[in-house]
Amino acid sequence: MRSEADIRAALHAFVQRHANDFPLTDDTPLFTLRVLRSVHLPELILLLERLRAGPIDVEQLQPGDFASIDVIVRRFGAVS
Amino acid sequence: MKDLTRVGLRWDPCGHAGLTGPLLALADDCDLAFRRLADRWHATEERHPSAMPASALATHLRSFPHQATFAAALDPADANLGEFADGPVTAPNGTVALTRIAPVTTVLTPAACYHVYAGHAREHLSEARYVSTRNTCFRRESRYEPLLRQWSFAMREIVCLGTPAEADAFLAQARAAVDYFALLIDVPLDWTPATDPFFRPHTNPGYLLQRIQPSKHEALYGGSLALGSVNLHHDHFGTAFGITRDGAPATTACVAFGVERWLYALTDRHGSDPDGWPDLLAAANQVVDR
Repeated sequence: MRSEADIRAALHAFVQRHANDFPLTDDTPLFTLRVLRSVHLPELILLLERLRAGPIDVEQLQPGDFASIDVIVRRFGAVS
Repeated sequence: MKDLTRVGLRWDPCGHAGLTGPLLALADDCDLAFRRLADRWHATEERHPSAMPASALATHLRSFPHQATFAAALDPADANLGEFADGPVTAPNGTVALTRIAPVTTVLTPAACYHVYAGHAREHLSEARYVSTRNTCFRRESRYEPLLRQWSFAMREIVCLGTPAEADAFLAQARAAVDYFALLIDVPLDWTPATDPFFRPHTNPGYLLQRIQPSKHEALYGGSLALGSVNLHHDHFGTAFGITRDGAPATTACVAFGVERWLYALTDRHGSDPDGWPDLLAAANQVVDR
């Protein structure tokens, strides 16, 4: 499993790749502002599973779990 | 479930309900009441066929192939039609003894609002547009139950095409209107976030988005029966059909009512004697005039 800093950097890179020059911060509401869209979710989940070296149970996902990079790191930064 | 045959329910176990007499009148009243609610937004009434080109619904068909019903027809070649007509036509178990089928291009309507997006394709809206429409919809299920879960059913929808803010406002107003309507006719409802029954949901982007950012809320009767739902599609249909609002792909939202399920709830709550049924149109008028 990568460090929190590594995970955060990888998430930044992932989001920025899809963000079309959007001024991204760690608390940017990613899906509310449509910076990311539904089509990005499967790839994002795969990326997180690789970074945290553990699976994500889709049925356990809750509203807001991918709200921002900060939230994603807090929620998925470690294997529970 | 109580027997509603006496008040006009006719049930085909293949998943289709027929209505006559008092129950038909109640269904008409339901639809009239929902149409009246649409006046809250000065919605334009539209009528569409119960089928549409499958090519317009490719994304939907990928997400819900298990629910799709296609319109199939025999290949019109004379020899092929003759082979069919001279054959058994149907087997004792009800299966049609099909001969060669013509290319299938048409899907039976899975949701009433899809026609609205297709019908307004390439429009550039200078203000929010509200549309009301009713259709017979078709969804395959693993089992069927009268009024509760049907292969074909009536769906009334009110649709908003606008900016994100206009769609959000519409959904909030729609929920409030449904709540007040349900209160007036004494059909208790609870709203809950919901997901659509996607095929292979765990890898479906639409399902994953509904998990993390609920865009569908169902109005439940009795804790589990969805009588209707409010749905935010973001700019999915605006982008797919080239509909713009303020120069950007339109955001769309809808409130949907399953008419047969309302019949179930009304007769469950108020009994099967028509004298005990509430005045739906009066309630809808009260909601709109509020």
